[in-house]
Amino acid sequence: MIIPLSHMLVVSAGLFALGIFGALTRRNAIGILMAIELILNSANLNLIAFGRARGDVGGETQVVALIVIGIAAAGAVVGLALVLAIFRHRQTISADEIKLLKG
Amino acid sequence: MLETIGPLESAAKAAFYVVAAGTLAGAWAAVSARNLFRAALGLAVALFGVAILYLFLEAEFLAVVQILVYVGAILTLLVFGVMLTARIADPSVPRWNGQAWGGLAVAAVLGLGLAHLLFHAPWLAPVDAAPAALPELGKTLLSTYLLPFEVLSLLLLGALVGAVFIARKDPE
Repeated sequence: MIIPLSHMLVVSAGLFALGIFGALTRRNAIGILMAIELILNSANLNLIAFGRARGDVGGETQVVALIVIGIAAAGAVVGLALVLAIFRHRQTISADEIKLLKG
Repeated sequence: MLETIGPLESAAKAAFYVVAAGTLAGAWAAVSARNLFRAALGLAVALFGVAILYLFLEAEFLAVVQILVYVGAILTLLVFGVMLTARIADPSVPRWNGQAWGGLAVAAVLGLGLAHLLFHAPWLAPVDAAPAALPELGKTLLSTYLLPFEVLSLLLLGALVGAVFIARKDPE
């Protein structure tokens, strides 16, 4: 591996922090979904970096990352369907204005 | 780790830092752009950058899957969602809620804390192993991990049916 492990991990930590920031502060529900995709990507990058550094002969870490990508795709699909349904009923997808369950 | 660093290797290192900076810049655009369509473009840059980082980690198959699934499918879906719902050209819509500073503080503590830990933790030394070859990866995926693979296909089927059910028009 040409790149030191810690440098790759710092990139992953930066992606994670940016994703957390977006998920906490975005008002638009689709913006929150985008931030969650960033978080999932940073976790995958971290996993692959560790797998590469510690020897991954059978490609197990890559298999796990592939499964994570598939689950992320399923999550994005269902999340967007929910966003579209909420938009149809309430004409907004601003996370601040969706407070039906707030007492 | 090689003892000598050739010109090709230093070029690759420089390319890594350029790609890493581009990825983080795209991610920042994705969480901060006022126009949600531009945020989606920033996310595209970030996802593409992660695919190139996979190439640096010699995970070629994963890089291709990343581009196909994330850039090709999920991002298209998100752009569809943006165009169907958001008032993207309206500058009066605030991009962040009232927790922007709190969120920034949490993200900064997390990011800086993680970076500090990364540089000070006693990691096990990297082993000098060859990257996983594609045939090995295929064998692992379809033998040892066959059950998770099939469960994943069931999950995707369920997500497909569920998404169609949730997003369809209400029968009046």
